[in-house]
Amino acid sequence: MVSIGPQIKRGSAELAILSVLAEGPLHGYQIAKRIEHQTRGLLRFNLASLYPLLYRMEKRGWVKGTWEDPPGGRRRRYYRLAPAGRRRLVPLREEWAQFFRALNRLAGVAHA
Amino acid sequence: MPDWQEIARRRLTPLALEAKRQEEIIVELADHLEDLYSDLVRQGKSEVEALKFALSTVADWDELRREIQLAANEEVIMKYRIKTLWLPGVCTSVLSSVLLQWFQRVPPAPPVIRLWQGTYLIIHWGWLLCLPLIGALGAYWSRRAGGKLLDRVLAASLYALALTCAMALGFCIGLVSDFGASLRLGLVGFVVDLLGYGIAPFLLLLLGALPFLRGDAAESRRAAVSH
Repeated sequence: MVSIGPQIKRGSAELAILSVLAEGPLHGYQIAKRIEHQTRGLLRFNLASLYPLLYRMEKRGWVKGTWEDPPGGRRRRYYRLAPAGRRRLVPLREEWAQFFRALNRLAGVAHA
Repeated sequence: MPDWQEIARRRLTPLALEAKRQEEIIVELADHLEDLYSDLVRQGKSEVEALKFALSTVADWDELRREIQLAANEEVIMKYRIKTLWLPGVCTSVLSSVLLQWFQRVPPAPPVIRLWQGTYLIIHWGWLLCLPLIGALGAYWSRRAGGKLLDRVLAASLYALALTCAMALGFCIGLVSDFGASLRLGLVGFVVDLLGYGIAPFLLLLLGALPFLRGDAAESRRAAVSH
């Protein structure tokens, strides 16, 4: 398995959270599990890395957290993508796609 | 089942947040720890192992507390700095600068004292007399916005400090670019300028600020946040 450095992980964290929330509202633990599952364990968030980032993104208006009582479950704080977060996600995806394309080209040249 | 809320509360509080928001964060983080613990137990780990692992996901609770406070207060801190330091500081600096220009152009001409080998000191007495009032305005503005002692001092004296930094930078650049010139002469000129445009204005601005340097900083901060 490829290991990704902490700098790249930090930079990609916002994209990861916004991407999973684009699929629907989730509470914090679900966000962490969903990201871990969808990246096959490559990206992992724990309590210390997830919540400060979530709160910061909430302050910026990218995500919105609300307390909800799901039927049959306990009261949880669910996060959903706010319109500003949806707008932020589009260029963020493009920036990362360009970044990886550039890395691929670099790797291609290096191996040529 | 461990009392996760108590565990989170013991490690995270006090958070510099409103009581309601602090409680929400504790409940939310406790939920996260409980979910993780339950998952681990379901996967076959013993309760002790699961507890240890769940707690180990936070290496430094103090750091987490700082991170959460910073994230939750990011906007407040920025607004606070702008309101208590930059806005009054920049306005008093502009006012000081405009007044200096005005006193330099409008007669009567300020007295000039010749010092040593072509260096001279200009006493802009009209401008200097205005500085305590400007310092008072900066400190009063900062205090009204909830500024701490340092914010008030900086808001009052930003002009003199900025000018001092600019003169020091100019002197250093002059040393490098005019390597052949007299170091002694340059140094005297720098000290004279520093006295006339840095130290004396700083002291006068501070003199005006003095009445507004007293007061409860914590109370001021609370007022600023509530605004």
